[in-house]
Amino acid sequence: MTADSTGARRLIRWGQILTGVGLVGLALVFVLALRYTPVERFQGLPQKIFYVHVPAAWSALLSFSLVGISSILYLWLRDPRLDRFADSCAAVGLVFSLVMLTTGPLWARPVWNTWWTWDARLTFTLILFFLFLGYRALRGALQDPGERARFSAVLGILGMVLVPFVHLTVYLFRTLHPQPIVLKPSAPSLPWEMLRTLLLSLGVYTVLLIGFVMTRYGVNARASLEGSDAG
Amino acid sequence: MQVDPAANAGYLIAAYVVTALILGGYALVLFRRANRR
Amino acid sequence: MLEFLRVALTVAWKDLRVEHRSKTALVSAIAFAALVLVIFNFARDAAAVSREMLAPSVLWITFSFSGVIALNRSFALEKENAALDGLLLAPVSRSALYLGKFLANLAFVFTVEAVALPLFVLFFGVDLSGILPGMILTAILATTGFVAVGTVFAAMTVRTRFAELMLPLLVLPFLLPPVIGAVQVTARLLAGRPVSEIAGWLRILAFYDLVFVTLCLLLFPALMDE
Repeated sequence: MTADSTGARRLIRWGQILTGVGLVGLALVFVLALRYTPVERFQGLPQKIFYVHVPAAWSALLSFSLVGISSILYLWLRDPRLDRFADSCAAVGLVFSLVMLTTGPLWARPVWNTWWTWDARLTFTLILFFLFLGYRALRGALQDPGERARFSAVLGILGMVLVPFVHLTVYLFRTLHPQPIVLKPSAPSLPWEMLRTLLLSLGVYTVLLIGFVMTRYGVNARASLEGSDAG
Repeated sequence: MQVDPAANAGYLIAAYVVTALILGGYALVLFRRANRR
Repeated sequence: MLEFLRVALTVAWKDLRVEHRSKTALVSAIAFAALVLVIFNFARDAAAVSREMLAPSVLWITFSFSGVIALNRSFALEKENAALDGLLLAPVSRSALYLGKFLANLAFVFTVEAVALPLFVLFFGVDLSGILPGMILTAILATTGFVAVGTVFAAMTVRTRFAELMLPLLVLPFLLPPVIGAVQVTARLLAGRPVSEIAGWLRILAFYDLVFVTLCLLLFPALMDE
């Protein structure tokens, strides 16, 4: 019992430290992207949103995969820690997909002159957001911990399998309809100054993800040890 | 295709500010929950 | 295997017979479908948007909305009468239970669609001659997809407080591939495109069905655990 609460406290402490490091890193990335990275020729200034948008997508997708994997493992092993991990990843994933959903249109508007297009990536963002939202809503609506864990696990697995289908159908839908030529921001040949900013940002976002998940997991673990189930 | 450089900068700043608010805000929420003793 | 099917069909039959006696759910689903069709017809600006352009989407909005309504009542009966516990006491495979529920829901939604389709033809003045088999195949494939997943979510949400809100929220992302596919195929059928163009979409629909029906059969027992 004491070992568990020490473990929880340690997770909370290190989670917060990592999060703090991540936030400092984020500030550094901001400075790097805004001041020390060249402006892209065709899209101009708004292209720099790329450096906060793409890593958010990466983090959201990573969180989502983690939810799916731990859901499968939970149904197999029935270890409540796996459920707690899935829950933490889903919460954090929701935050990152919110960043995607807000920065995406802010990028689209100056570059493509519209807030929203139903292209593969933005639609995908929206679906991911709804899946995370649904997951949280479902958990919030179920009281019994066992039921909550099992039902969310089923949702997590179904969602994970759904994602490639959504991507496929939306992609096919777009390629069959003539679209205005849209510049793909993530061109394979990225100049070094841009690539290094992107990589740094990816690293920072990953650190933030780990820090967030650790802290949230630790807080939930501590709460359930103290008797109140934090869900 | 450059429309209005000033407006473009606006979107850029908005995006960065929103990102900072969301990520920073969430960190704050977590810190408060972690340290509420 | 035979026992599995027998249980499933028994559950399905029981479900449908209860429904048959209280026809209200079926009637309200059909009335809803008719309402949607009428509204879309009046809401459209005839000069700007042609009926042909709107038709596939309207049809599938009608089908999927009514489908969700139908799914809502799927486990409602059990919830009210605590009949689910009785079902679970029986020493039958949970997957067979799911299959039965799924088949009953499918029959229900197909009935709604079968009534809505003639209304659609009437209101939108579309000519289905020659493409009716294609339309029916598409309807079967797409409906199977979202009813499969919808049945699982109906079982989940019946335990929650705001079931009527939760079910659409959860099922929405899963509606996308079948409905997008169905609209694509329907649009092409109505435009008289050759079969070769739609074969790809139909394959995706079929693949979606295969994957999700199997997955739901496997996952449903986890929902019924105690």
